[in-house]
Amino acid sequence: MKYLHLIWRSLLRSRRRTLLTVLSLGVSVFLVATLQSILGTLDGFAHNPDSANRMVVRHKTSITNVLPFRYGDWLRQQPEVEAVMGLQWFGGIYQDQRNFFANFAVEPEYLVPMFKEEVRGVTEAQVRDFVRDRTGCVVGQALADKFGWKLGTVVPLQGTIFPFTPRLTIRAIFRGKRTADEMALYFPYKHLEESIPRMKGKVGTFWVRVRSADDVPRLIERIDHHFSDALEPTYSETENAFQLEFLKMLGDYATMIHTITAAVLAAILIVTASTMAMTIRERTTEIAVFRAMGFTGRQVLGLLMAEGVLLSAMGGLAGIGLALVTAGAVRGNIGTSIPWLSDFQLQPATLLFCLQATLAVGVLSTFIPAYQAVRRPIVEGLRSL
Amino acid sequence: MTTWLLFLPLIPALGWLAWAALRHAVPLSYNWRSLWQRKVATLSTAAAIAVVVAIFVVVRSLSQGISHAFVSSGRSDQAVVLRANARVELNSTLERDQVRVLKADPLLARDASGVLASAECYVIMMLDYADGTGGTNVAVRGLEPAGIRMRDRVRLVQGRWFNPGLWEMVVPARMAWRFQGLRLGQSISFAGHRWPIVGVFDAEGSAFDSELWTGVEQLMQARKRDAYSTMLVRLADPDRLPGFIRQVDADKRLKLEAKAETDYYGEQTEAGKPIQVLGNLITAILTLGAIFAAMNTMYSAVAGRTAEIGTLRALGFRRVEILASFQWEALMLCSMGGLAGALLAQGFNGIQTSTVNFQTFSDVSFAFTITPGLMAQGVAFSILMGLAGGFLPAWRASRIPVTEAMNS
Repeated sequence: MKYLHLIWRSLLRSRRRTLLTVLSLGVSVFLVATLQSILGTLDGFAHNPDSANRMVVRHKTSITNVLPFRYGDWLRQQPEVEAVMGLQWFGGIYQDQRNFFANFAVEPEYLVPMFKEEVRGVTEAQVRDFVRDRTGCVVGQALADKFGWKLGTVVPLQGTIFPFTPRLTIRAIFRGKRTADEMALYFPYKHLEESIPRMKGKVGTFWVRVRSADDVPRLIERIDHHFSDALEPTYSETENAFQLEFLKMLGDYATMIHTITAAVLAAILIVTASTMAMTIRERTTEIAVFRAMGFTGRQVLGLLMAEGVLLSAMGGLAGIGLALVTAGAVRGNIGTSIPWLSDFQLQPATLLFCLQATLAVGVLSTFIPAYQAVRRPIVEGLRSL
Repeated sequence: MTTWLLFLPLIPALGWLAWAALRHAVPLSYNWRSLWQRKVATLSTAAAIAVVVAIFVVVRSLSQGISHAFVSSGRSDQAVVLRANARVELNSTLERDQVRVLKADPLLARDASGVLASAECYVIMMLDYADGTGGTNVAVRGLEPAGIRMRDRVRLVQGRWFNPGLWEMVVPARMAWRFQGLRLGQSISFAGHRWPIVGVFDAEGSAFDSELWTGVEQLMQARKRDAYSTMLVRLADPDRLPGFIRQVDADKRLKLEAKAETDYYGEQTEAGKPIQVLGNLITAILTLGAIFAAMNTMYSAVAGRTAEIGTLRALGFRRVEILASFQWEALMLCSMGGLAGALLAQGFNGIQTSTVNFQTFSDVSFAFTITPGLMAQGVAFSILMGLAGGFLPAWRASRIPVTEAMNS
């Protein structure tokens, strides 16, 4: 510890170099922290502990095929099942295509029991209003805030999949754990069914809430077996698997992010190593003087290594700080083009990883030049004095 | 195109540098040799720049590949007719009598086999990946025979076209190896039938490279639909296209809308937006990092050569010439990295990948295409880094007082 001042002074000796190295490390670490957190945020959607009890039943052929509504009655009779809700992706547009948000037609009476964790903070009176009003709807707080909606506002949704433009009155506004959950609108299924003849008695998916998560695998098997010979066979999976399927559609984003992370780490290793090599080479004489004064080789090595680690740690912390400061901006900008990222959050594990990685970069990049400098005979170092 | 605008400031700067080099300035070989004096620093900086340039080129090729898939799909004398407000084929429905009305339009082109209009059915289905890691939604298009003739970029590479009356499919070569059961002679099970794969086509990277093709009537029958999705029409006179579109939009009987095929696919390039946004962010940040690294190296090059700079000044070289000389050195350093990075990126050329079109929830397959143009962009980009990273150190070098420099 008593050498900390010495290490600090040697870093300050070439302020510009230290600053440039810290900045170059900082932006790279910032990038790694942000990218890895994007990955972590996306993964969070496919590993949502709240949805362990829920599963999704859909048509085996594809997500756009519809199932007979009566399948819901059979599902409700299963002993493990707590609640079943028919849900149809409506894909309506509010005013402009860019105002994209998720909107679904659902069986209103089951909405709150099904999404207990995601749809919260609505009073019983509001739920009653919603269930009674066939042209009513429920929206999330974040969505209501975005467009300045209040209870009673009428929201026209222009159908894209269905040639029909419902005008929906907001009957309840809910809060959810995540912003992405709040960016949704639900309206009564009956309204859709009555307006679109081909949807009569048909629905896209059933969401099933199971009493105990342990029963889910067996229930999935039983449902699919039961309907395997039907005209409309089903495909059931857990809600997490269903989400993962959509995430996987984004492309192999995980491989891309990991590749970039590896490349960036390699690049900063090279950059730091080159900086430290420059620093140490300039100090050949000084190192010789230190050793002539009685510092052991190991001590000098330790001092140089500490300097390298301190330098890279500063870069790492600068990057993490930058990531923390800009997290809100990332949420706002990328969140609009990739809906899942409206919940973008820096993951503590990722930040820890970044810190560890920069420390490792510090150690790895300094060791070789420092070791070489220490191995050099003192006399040779003093010769240039 | 817009990317090239970014490189516009390069032109005057490079022009000035070339002029400085030609005007009996400090010889360039001096800079080249100086770079190799400090091998480790030079190589490591160049390597870092190479990584950044490689990422830049690969990410750009990714977003270009996606846009290319859509932009190259349309023809300017063809129009897609959809249900009003449907936006994409998947959402659209078209009744048989509407199709009859449209096909009778005198503006449409004809060839030996009849009118060039194809009523089509567009659906999606689940297919399993060949490597057994799950599956994804892929698009299936049912066409009339005219539909094949109207897409002249699509050509058969293996087997034969489907027979419109049979349960047969033709698949793009790019998808054949990515999914189970899509090779020639294999078959897939879909909508209660087995569909043998009778042919493989290539669509030159357009959107059709992500679609399975079959006869429209077979597909509708299998999916128990009695309505088509959309219709593709070709006009006899390309100039009449806006008129045709207005006419369809205004026809109250039809309640349909028509879009130029090029516009229709142009709108779908949105599919590449997430990757584009992410790519731009990544490149911007990394560039900043690389510029700092280049600056660092150049500053230490300047610091280590104070005496040399003093000598140059004493020999009569002017400040501007020294500025130009060091700027050249930075350019050499960075463009070396840029060239290496562009070559590195070349290794990605041809790798197949895919993303999803969120408007149709279906798979879009495309290949990384590292074109010479993209590689040139990468190198231009590294030159930009060299200019930005080299200027301050070069400025500093030119400002060192002669006496002080000679003293050290």
